[in-house]
Amino acid sequence: MGETILSGLITGSTLALAALGISLIFGVADIANFAQGPMLAFGAMLGWWLTAVLHLPYALALACVAVATALLGIAIERIALRPLANAPRLAVLLATVAVGIVLDRATQLIFSPETRVLDDPFPRATLAIGGLHVSAFDTAIPAIAAAIALLSAWFLTNTSTGRAIRASAQDPDAARQMGIDVGTMQSIAFALAASLAGIAGMLAGTYYRNVEPSIATSLGMGGFAAAALGGLGSLGGAVVGGLALGVLQNVGATLFGGAALQVVTFATVLGAFWLRSRRASSDRAANESTFFGLPALPAPPRRSLAIVLVLAAVGVPLFCGPYVLRVGSEIAIYATLALSLTLVAGTCGTISLGQVGFFAIGAYASALLEKDLGWTFWCAAPAASAISGVLAAIAISPVARLGGQELAIATFAIGATIVALILNLDSLTNGPLGISNLAPPSAFGHAIVSARDDFLLAASAFAIGLLFVRRLQSSPLGLTWRAIRDDPVAAAASGIAPAAYKTLAFALGGGVAGLAGSVLASQYLYVSPDMFDTDISVLAFTIVVLGGMGSVWGALLGAAVLVGIPELFRPLHDYRILAYGVALLLLVRFRPQGFFAYR
Amino acid sequence: MRNPSRSHVLRMLGGAALAGCAPHAGGSAGTDTIRFGVSGPFSGDDANYGRVWRNAMDLAVSEITRAGGVRGRPLELVYEDTQADPRQSVVIAQQFVDDPSILIELGDFSSAASMAASPVYERAGLVQFGFTNSDPAFTLGGDYMFSTATSVRQDAAIIARGAARLGRRHAVLFQDTVWGKSASTAYVEAARSLGVEVVSAQSYLAETKDFHAILGNARAARPDVAVYYAYYTDGALLMRQSRDVGLDAHVVTTGACYNQQFVTLGGDAVEGAVLPVEFFAGDPRPAIRTFVQTYEARYHEQPDLFAAFAYDAVNIAVWAATRGGFTRSGARDALARGTHIPSIVDGPFRFGSDRRIERTTERWVVVKNGRFALWNGA
Repeated sequence: MGETILSGLITGSTLALAALGISLIFGVADIANFAQGPMLAFGAMLGWWLTAVLHLPYALALACVAVATALLGIAIERIALRPLANAPRLAVLLATVAVGIVLDRATQLIFSPETRVLDDPFPRATLAIGGLHVSAFDTAIPAIAAAIALLSAWFLTNTSTGRAIRASAQDPDAARQMGIDVGTMQSIAFALAASLAGIAGMLAGTYYRNVEPSIATSLGMGGFAAAALGGLGSLGGAVVGGLALGVLQNVGATLFGGAALQVVTFATVLGAFWLRSRRASSDRAANESTFFGLPALPAPPRRSLAIVLVLAAVGVPLFCGPYVLRVGSEIAIYATLALSLTLVAGTCGTISLGQVGFFAIGAYASALLEKDLGWTFWCAAPAASAISGVLAAIAISPVARLGGQELAIATFAIGATIVALILNLDSLTNGPLGISNLAPPSAFGHAIVSARDDFLLAASAFAIGLLFVRRLQSSPLGLTWRAIRDDPVAAAASGIAPAAYKTLAFALGGGVAGLAGSVLASQYLYVSPDMFDTDISVLAFTIVVLGGMGSVWGALLGAAVLVGIPELFRPLHDYRILAYGVALLLLVRFRPQGFFAYR
Repeated sequence: MRNPSRSHVLRMLGGAALAGCAPHAGGSAGTDTIRFGVSGPFSGDDANYGRVWRNAMDLAVSEITRAGGVRGRPLELVYEDTQADPRQSVVIAQQFVDDPSILIELGDFSSAASMAASPVYERAGLVQFGFTNSDPAFTLGGDYMFSTATSVRQDAAIIARGAARLGRRHAVLFQDTVWGKSASTAYVEAARSLGVEVVSAQSYLAETKDFHAILGNARAARPDVAVYYAYYTDGALLMRQSRDVGLDAHVVTTGACYNQQFVTLGGDAVEGAVLPVEFFAGDPRPAIRTFVQTYEARYHEQPDLFAAFAYDAVNIAVWAATRGGFTRSGARDALARGTHIPSIVDGPFRFGSDRRIERTTERWVVVKNGRFALWNGA
């Protein structure tokens, strides 16, 4: 066990390193920066290139990586984030998603997707501790992580620049009046965070010895979980969170096997949030501003555009070929999934980054009901939707008292835990094999398999979701949700319990996500854990922000744009995903409040 | 001469501005051209496999072109990137089946991406040749699904026989993917039937970088053979780290580790690892020697199993299209009934009744002095 803990501490320090930059940005800019994962990978690949191709000494290469990523951080802040200074916070979050997509694909194009050896220059002589052989470099990693954390913390608290950075984050207007150049401070903060990511990527890559651009996902997720565990925004917390997570992961893998890694990781994060939520009094939760900051001025719904969308939905099956219909089905399914978030986010002001969990539950529940119990799709879909809703309520209620960002991160952990559980609960879900060869749904003795039938089914599901969400929004319940969104304090003062209403929104939203999931299963006739990665939560969130918070038509238009663009850009071949990221960035830049707004 | 896909493109353009249109804008194919669709991961986390596919397939196409095309007609591959993501492979499937000039589809890389798209191919009657999809359920998805990936059960029997020669106490570590899960389950059965004791069987997530914990568990079970169901990247890491935890056992792994990168990434830690391979670059058969030489000359790296399979896939598809009179259903029937389908990996072969290849030959390699060499048993 001592050996397990020791190797856990070493793993944990790589997670801590990855967490530092994420926590720093959280602390000084109050933003979950989705570009940190790809920045870690960029640092690792650049480190490989400098040491293996240019044969620079390791220390010099590390310094170059630190400088290069810092410059990249400044460029990102200047080009992508600063123009959004007066936009809603969510637009900035979305811009980091777009930057992450661009950076991730650029790293692949620059360095090629191959796995490379990133060697360390230290003596190979291994120390034997118990049965474990560790190299000098391995034992140095925890110390390096701690030193970097201390140095960064010292910079932020004891230097005038550091204090200015924190002041700019806490109250930009006051800082500006004190003569601080807020823009420059913001640049420095992003440069520092990017540099930390670059260094972390290179050091963690050296520890693993093998690096490839796709480590962005695994290392980014690990760092994100460690930062969340350490209490978002605290550098000391990031180190402690990383070390604790490393040890827990290793102990968990020893006890439950390696496949349980994600369950252990995200269940731990979720557990931490549950504990935090118990401590948080409802007053505090109510006082915390919602994720949205100042509400953006709502633009009037574009009725004419809504009519165009309806006409398109009706016209597509009449005039378009199967390929467009197939894209249309995807759009309708993801628009339905986005509706579930429209209900949660736009209506009661709580963002969710975990919708993929309820989407997956819906898909699996309907697949299992059809395959094991022989139900028809028409019975299984509503049941699956109900199951998703109930499970969503159960998952959310313990953390519903958390406010804004914390709840968003908690939902991310919920989504990741659900998908990891699906992979691990072999006896129920068939594990990684998934459930294959489902029978297609049939109506009037006619199997629904053609592109047109699939489109009509998906579009009908969207219509049902749309009517459901619209009805809820205009009901007294919708009014209560909006009261919570617009002014949680006033809402609580008038006797509304925000946590209970939020849970209800998640439950009803979970039902809509479940419906989308069962339609997905009915089209692919196959479900597997591979289909439900966390990217889908981010996609749903992106659709809703881009479409306009709370607008049901925005969900449709956002899905059309975000699912349609990657298809539209196919002629760009290798640059397709890069162009998608750039397009997303431009959309956020010029329409930060979304296409439609909802009052 | 009328472009067969133009009316279709116009219809789509006229229909909706909101969805992707004109999938083969820029395609200059006349009716003469033989076209195959390739659905694969040309970006995303599996992009490296897509890169190898494209290298090998481009090589096959240029060879055919140099030899005067397919019965005088030019050959064109339509590569579409799906990132091995079911969300995209289904849409691409529809794009391919709608294009009447596409005679056969090759791919996708992962069984999950292929199986989600199978209903579309099956309904349209277009061959879906998932040449890397080893999940037994894949070819059961319909009459148009074919695969040259060894079925996991057959592969398991081969690996178990080889591993049993090295010891009687086996520890198994496998990727928790469709492939790893079904393959390792089959392995445990096969090993037990040979009287081998499987002392530990553990899974890990494909993106894992740190294996110390599960390797520690494996060591505690005191195996004399460690069997890794891994790709070359995770396989190399597993072997390096098994040395860190002091797991001292013979290592047996799979053909997916047959890649020079396995040795580069693993260094001296992978010395002595043995693996059965369907394809070996040192194979003296002339067809393989020519392939390896031209591939190395063109790309400056050794072709691996995925390269050989991708190269074969193009040639098999050309054979099937020609034999089937350049129709979709003809190509299917040719594959299903053909008894001497050309292949550099398998020589002339035939598909079994489950539309999967049955391999009878068994060839092993060992990592020796940083190179793969034939292995003749312990």
